[in-house]
Amino acid sequence: MLADFQQALSDITASPALCRALRADSELLGKRYRLTERETARLRAIAGHPGMTAACTVYRMNRLAPLAMNLRGTLRALGPALRRTIDAYWVDHPRGHAHFYIESCRFADWLAQAIAAGLSVPATVAGELARETAFVRGALVASRTEG
Amino acid sequence: MCARPRVGLLHNPTTSALLAHAGALVEHVSAMPERLWFDFGAEAPRGRRFHRAHAAIDELKAALDGPPARSFAGHGLGLSLPSAMPLDDDMVDAVAAMTRRLGGCAWYSEHLNLFLTPKGGVPNAQAGLGLPVVYDEESFALIAAKLQRLRDAVGCRLLLENGSFFTPVPDLDLSEPEFLNRLHRQGHCGTLLDLHNLLVNERNGGTPMADYVAELDLDAVEEVHLAGGDDEEGFYMDSHSTPTPEVVWELAFDVLPRCRRLRAITFEYQESYFEDIGLAALTRELERMHVLAEACAGDEARESAHAETADAR
Repeated sequence: MLADFQQALSDITASPALCRALRADSELLGKRYRLTERETARLRAIAGHPGMTAACTVYRMNRLAPLAMNLRGTLRALGPALRRTIDAYWVDHPRGHAHFYIESCRFADWLAQAIAAGLSVPATVAGELARETAFVRGALVASRTEG
Repeated sequence: MCARPRVGLLHNPTTSALLAHAGALVEHVSAMPERLWFDFGAEAPRGRRFHRAHAAIDELKAALDGPPARSFAGHGLGLSLPSAMPLDDDMVDAVAAMTRRLGGCAWYSEHLNLFLTPKGGVPNAQAGLGLPVVYDEESFALIAAKLQRLRDAVGCRLLLENGSFFTPVPDLDLSEPEFLNRLHRQGHCGTLLDLHNLLVNERNGGTPMADYVAELDLDAVEEVHLAGGDDEEGFYMDSHSTPTPEVVWELAFDVLPRCRRLRAITFEYQESYFEDIGLAALTRELERMHVLAEACAGDEARESAHAETADAR
């Protein structure tokens, strides 16, 4: 069915790991989605298409965009830890928020909690995070323009 | 009034600087409603989801008021019309309210891309990634019904923009041009032809630009987008980061004079590249768009279409 086809297409674009798993396991789609044979064949072709690499890359760039705009110093301070940190955040929050300040505050809160729980990040992250979180929280309040 | 398409820009936060430098060259402005509000999401209290971005609205209104006064079209990204889920009625109402606030729009366009799915979707923060659509009877019926609802709400002509994809859907019942032609033929919408999207698809292994255009009903085309992109890891990106590539200009000068109902030629650039592209290059882009528009002049059908554009504001 079309809804499941679209969901599967979205899922493999969001997850290079799922895309690789799909290439390796021809039964995987049938286990996770309700699809016609034609839809299954289309998805297998798409997962194996060379352009899937670019689609996954652009997905990550777009999902990262609000954080790059509003928490630039924090992301820079994360340095080599950025990738695994973002991957862990996206596991907990698979869907981004359309409102960039909400998405940024959500990540900031998640990161602060993760650090408090023992996540290993460079020492400069906490300071940048505190400074930028205050700014984003203010911007979020200011964006409530309708009373 | 000359019977030729207007030269326009897709509005962004740097547009006012460009208008201050070369405003006389800009006759039309398109704007994305998603950049004119803050969307607090479905979890917001009823009636409190969309909060207006007053500064952005004021900037846009100043751009439209001129001088010179400019025609206006809305260009949405958020409705994801091909999604196999109900239309976001709250957003449709917000689009309608926004266009009313801006004095109405000459036409309203959306993308022929998939952004939303029942359990997620792909972020649409920047140009460059909409998922491809299955062009078949089911999608046609789905999109046609949503277009009707949208048209009733915004009260103007609708256009759909051809997409750019890295991964085309194989084994389709209809090609994208056939799909757009049929939507036009049955009166559901016209076509916004993004020539740079055609280049993106061709460069990434998709349909050659000339083949696509040969299949498209050029009488359906009412707006054309120009833009530029760049290469990243072996792929060509629709990043809106450069002036229009020469190969797109060549196609434009060949095709646009044959688009009898063309109302506007609109250049899109991403504001983060404003400094890199520079005012001089942007001005040259607008000047060349005027040459292109003049090459399209003098058609009776366009005279009529252009009068509709002017009357809408």
